[in-house]
Amino acid sequence: MAMTQARPANATAARQGLVDCDVHVFPRSTDELKEYLPMPWRDRYSGGGRGFFGNPVHGSRLDSKPPAGGPPGSDPDFLRRQLVDEYGHAYCILLPRAFCNLHPDPDFGTAIAAAYNDWLADTWLSKYNHDGVFKGSITVNTQDPPAAAREIARWAGHPHFVQVMTDSGARAPFGQRQYYPIYEACERHGLRFAIHPGTDGMGINVQPSPGYPTHYIEWHTCLSLAFQAHLVSFLTEGVFERFPGFGITLTEGGVSWLPALLWRLDAEWKALRSEVPWLTRAPSAYLRDHVRLSSQPLENPDNPKQLLQIFEMMDAAHTLMFASDYPHWDFDSPTHAFPKLPEDLHRRIFSETAREWYGLA
Amino acid sequence: MARHVVGRVSEFPPGARKIVEVEGRSIGVFNVNGAFHALRNSCPHQAAPLCLGAIKGMTLPSKPGEYIWAREGEILRCPWHGWEFDLTTGRSIFNPHKMRVRTYAVTVEPDGGAAQEEEDEAVETFPVTVEDGLVILHA
Repeated sequence: MAMTQARPANATAARQGLVDCDVHVFPRSTDELKEYLPMPWRDRYSGGGRGFFGNPVHGSRLDSKPPAGGPPGSDPDFLRRQLVDEYGHAYCILLPRAFCNLHPDPDFGTAIAAAYNDWLADTWLSKYNHDGVFKGSITVNTQDPPAAAREIARWAGHPHFVQVMTDSGARAPFGQRQYYPIYEACERHGLRFAIHPGTDGMGINVQPSPGYPTHYIEWHTCLSLAFQAHLVSFLTEGVFERFPGFGITLTEGGVSWLPALLWRLDAEWKALRSEVPWLTRAPSAYLRDHVRLSSQPLENPDNPKQLLQIFEMMDAAHTLMFASDYPHWDFDSPTHAFPKLPEDLHRRIFSETAREWYGLA
Repeated sequence: MARHVVGRVSEFPPGARKIVEVEGRSIGVFNVNGAFHALRNSCPHQAAPLCLGAIKGMTLPSKPGEYIWAREGEILRCPWHGWEFDLTTGRSIFNPHKMRVRTYAVTVEPDGGAAQEEEDEAVETFPVTVEDGLVILHA
């Protein structure tokens, strides 16, 4: 099964390789990141864990720890061997985990976001990226939207940053107007806005379930609740009317809930359209132009035909993009996570949709 | 089903494991509290290298709010998604009837010159001592 040849040498072969929309890379140590933090933050920063709700078994694949040392996802040679070469990745969309949204001090959160961006640009997007397989996400701190917009502008035009990203953990749904400086900057610079689970209910952020769940299994299952709330907010607030060139990537927020949620929202809209008169079409009609979901962790019913039906319901050929979540514990294997797909649908999910969405060759 | 010498009992204490390649298959051999068991090194879920996983005990079925930790050393957890497998049977804990990994027989035999027959390098490089038995994988 392992592909042992080097990365595709010609453009045609590269076009056939898969695009993995959720790959996590980490500094080799907290000190490596601190080199990119100015004072006074450098002295105050002690790493970016989320605190509670750690996986009680293990947080990363046990075989993802680099033999040469350092945490999972920190060694580019080993990541290339275990992921890029193993499965023939053409592109990895990198999402560092800065967890900057949980800080009570917005300046601290913004400084951490900037340090992660400088670190990523210096390492994975340049030193480790001779062939351009790595594409990055600009981390922003959503509790200070004007500062986040300036951070986006700082990286505009970079050849390897393809989107802006933040945690799903927030103090308010993302469709609300205080966030618009971020979306205006994304639209202006042609960058997608990705939301990834993290910092939900942590620090200053609210928990999207009624109160705090007891167990990791509850917290982790219910991460998709935040995504559903954020999506409904984006749609009903008219964000995609206000910023017609703006699009969101819902990363690791679940997949199969989408059709039922949109049926419900469309039904509400038929009766309550007058409350949100800026919508020019049914809420679900905005999906194809403005929303993509990444696949991992893919819900798999016992009967795989049912998943294929859900794919049809959600127009997966145009809305779903493969993601592995390497090196995390719930990694989805490109060769085993999906049921057998029709060839054209496979090509859409594993390659074409992401290339169109991110403007990749 | 062929016999494959895996190693010496004396070099294979409880809790130890050895992953061997046998006719194109990767198989993990485990000393589980003194008894030997072998499992295919491929998780039935997404084909992760199962036998690299942590060897643990497990929480037994219990009343809500009660924790009963038992079977220390008998449970293998997949290194990717953490699914639990019974090392002694290959059956998963969450659905032992439907979700299981292939197992193989392992025997302990006296060293009657089997080491030479099997041309196992690891065995051949060690001197034979009379008190050692050999661990044999039948796969």
